[in-house]
Amino acid sequence: MSLPLLPFELPDGALIRRFLDGDEQAFRTLYERHTPRLEMTLQRLLGPWRQDVDDVVQETWLAACRGLHGYRGDARFSTWLTSIGVRTTLNHLGRRGDRETEILEEIPTPLANGPASGIDLERALAALPDRQRVVVVLHDVEGFTHEEIGAQLGIAAGTSKATLSRARQALRLALSEGVSNES
Amino acid sequence: MNHDDASEHDDEMLRLFAALPRTVPIEAGQPDRIVAQLRREGFFRAQRRARRWAIQAAAAAVIFAIGALAGSHYARSNSLEDMLARTQLSAAERVLLLQRAGSAYVRAAQAYADATAHVDSSAVEVASRVLLGAAHAVARSSLDAGLSERLARVLQPASAPMPASRQPVIWF
Repeated sequence: MSLPLLPFELPDGALIRRFLDGDEQAFRTLYERHTPRLEMTLQRLLGPWRQDVDDVVQETWLAACRGLHGYRGDARFSTWLTSIGVRTTLNHLGRRGDRETEILEEIPTPLANGPASGIDLERALAALPDRQRVVVVLHDVEGFTHEEIGAQLGIAAGTSKATLSRARQALRLALSEGVSNES
Repeated sequence: MNHDDASEHDDEMLRLFAALPRTVPIEAGQPDRIVAQLRREGFFRAQRRARRWAIQAAAAAVIFAIGALAGSHYARSNSLEDMLARTQLSAAERVLLLQRAGSAYVRAAQAYADATAHVDSSAVEVASRVLLGAAHAVARSSLDAGLSERLARVLQPASAPMPASRQPVIWF
């Protein structure tokens, strides 16, 4: 006779069923399993507003829990959750948009001497316009396709592709300017 | 990373993207805030159970109170005292009342006899007076059809004939 699985050993589907049945531990396990990745993604999407990430993560989980009855398991739970996080972030950015310029002026800081680092890239990403940042993070970091990004943002796949191209140019420029400024 | 259009990236950019951290550690207690919110929204079993228990307890209390009130009212309205006080009784109800009063008298006397090892004079006197009073009342109301007199004769001890001047004890 095999021992019952501990919550952290259960797959997402089983945890979701338990959570919907009112099991708090199942929710905590789901949260601890998926939040580290979700929070990192949302931080990048928020860019200059990354200090709001706790609120956006909470809002994302609440929206996910409220809509969990509608989750059919067609996509992986992490993908489904990230989609909700993207929508929540876009709404948040929409509300914050009026102060964007002021904040962005504070973000790009001189890059360190030598080759560009991950921190430089993070700063360059944060300095991008919201739409470009969201597209490049979803595509180049999270691995979404242009069709998926288009569906998320309500734009055509071709628009997503063009936006990505502009974002990459801006990143290259920001990184090269940062390095040359320092050297 | 998705490598569509990766040609736009030089090696350095690819290296930087690949090296970006994918996760951030979460703080202990971080889920508590959302767990509290979800609990308020009734997602968790304990909350649901507690709420269900409270509703059931309240419903049980209301049902019990209604039952107690109804039972109390019914008992009061059917008590001997209440029926005796009522004037709007049918003939059948009054017959029933007579039966119940007689039964109550017999039960009280029996209970007294069972509860005491010996019969004391005061109890006998009380029981006799009540019985006698009831018998007189029945006779005055002409409800005994001569039965009281016949009973008195039967109950009269043979060695002690009743004086002629004395009225017979009337029993019902």
